[in-house]
Amino acid sequence: MNTQDYISSGILEAYALGELSALERAEVEKNLAQYPELKEELLLIEETQEKFLQKGAIQPKASVKEQLFKKIRQSKPDGKIVSMPAGNSQISFWKYAAAASVAIALVTSYLAYNYYGKWRSTENNLNELVAQNQQMARDYNTVNQRLDKIETDIKVIDNPAFSRVVMKGTNNAPEAMAYVYWNESSKEVYLSIQNMKTLAQENQYQLWAIVDGKPVDAGVFDGNMTGLLKMKDLGGAAAFAVTVEPRGGKPAPSLETMQVIGNVIKG
Amino acid sequence: MRSKDKIAFAYLYDHYSGALFGVVSRIIRKEEVAEEVLQDVFLKIWDKIESYDAEKGRLFTWMLNLARNQAIDRGRSKEISKEGKTSGIDNLVNRIDKREFAEQGVDSIGVRDILKGLPEEQKFVMENLYFKGYSQSELAEEFNIPLGTVKTRTRLALKQLRSIVKAF
Repeated sequence: MNTQDYISSGILEAYALGELSALERAEVEKNLAQYPELKEELLLIEETQEKFLQKGAIQPKASVKEQLFKKIRQSKPDGKIVSMPAGNSQISFWKYAAAASVAIALVTSYLAYNYYGKWRSTENNLNELVAQNQQMARDYNTVNQRLDKIETDIKVIDNPAFSRVVMKGTNNAPEAMAYVYWNESSKEVYLSIQNMKTLAQENQYQLWAIVDGKPVDAGVFDGNMTGLLKMKDLGGAAAFAVTVEPRGGKPAPSLETMQVIGNVIKG
Repeated sequence: MRSKDKIAFAYLYDHYSGALFGVVSRIIRKEEVAEEVLQDVFLKIWDKIESYDAEKGRLFTWMLNLARNQAIDRGRSKEISKEGKTSGIDNLVNRIDKREFAEQGVDSIGVRDILKGLPEEQKFVMENLYFKGYSQSELAEEFNIPLGTVKTRTRLALKQLRSIVKAF
């Protein structure tokens, strides 16, 4: 059922005005039990009707109340006791008066709780989506950066101005292998490594170039680096070698720790 | 009547007799008769409070329906129509009474101000339904408006009143 259309028809107002036949009332009550939004709407209608009529109140004379209570005192002993057990009516009057306010409070708090729950779950869903989105953005950035790196690496490897120097493992690290990509005219030096151990925290690898028979510092690196690493610019190198040095490097190589070494082969 | 019971009933009376008398006395213009009807309504409330079902609506709605039906029934009874037909000086006095009553009734400041902001056709429906003892179907028939239209106008009026009654 489309509850909005149902509400717009004004049938709930007719219900609150007591305008409906018994059959129609039963139908409305069935729908009220089934659709909470109808109940909520009816409550609003009834509240408005009550407030409106309270504004239009006309106070009856005090004598009306006196007469009424006299009538009730008189009618009490016969009529009522027969039809229902004494005590019952006394309690049930309070019971129903209390039930009225309790029912309204219950409906209201149920609706409040219901909407609070809906709001909470919507908020959770939203937070989850935001978190997922952030994760995806981070992943995308990482991938993008790696792609950029690979692209620049390929440019270096593909560039005929770079000559490749193969450095093979010494007795200290027979499995190790490293390449230097060196552009003699621009003096740029790139390094890539294979099978080089991860060193202790206090140590780093240091690349050396042999220029005019003397080792020249070409920069330090860690054993876990990937791809091409840009090293210091150098000219006139005859060979390259890598040693293990204290973190940050040293001015002169510790030759006994040499890992890989290779000569520049002039084409 | 136990004292506890009396207190609850007195509370109901104090709280709601004004609003219900506002409805009853506008439908029944003769003050003594309206007072009698109001007493009958509260006697009915007293007798039938057990049949009130909180699941089906507010207590006030239930009481209002009793009051409205009682007033409409009484308004149609022979006694009243006979009185309406009485001639001579009685009739004149009766009419003047009615007019004075009407001035503090339907046209009282509160109701007039509240309904002021509504479109004419909605004001018409509200006044006739709540203060002149018309049912929706009678309104439709007598003024030749489709019943669905009467219902929609009632709805629109009550919807507008939601914010209006808060302001008063």
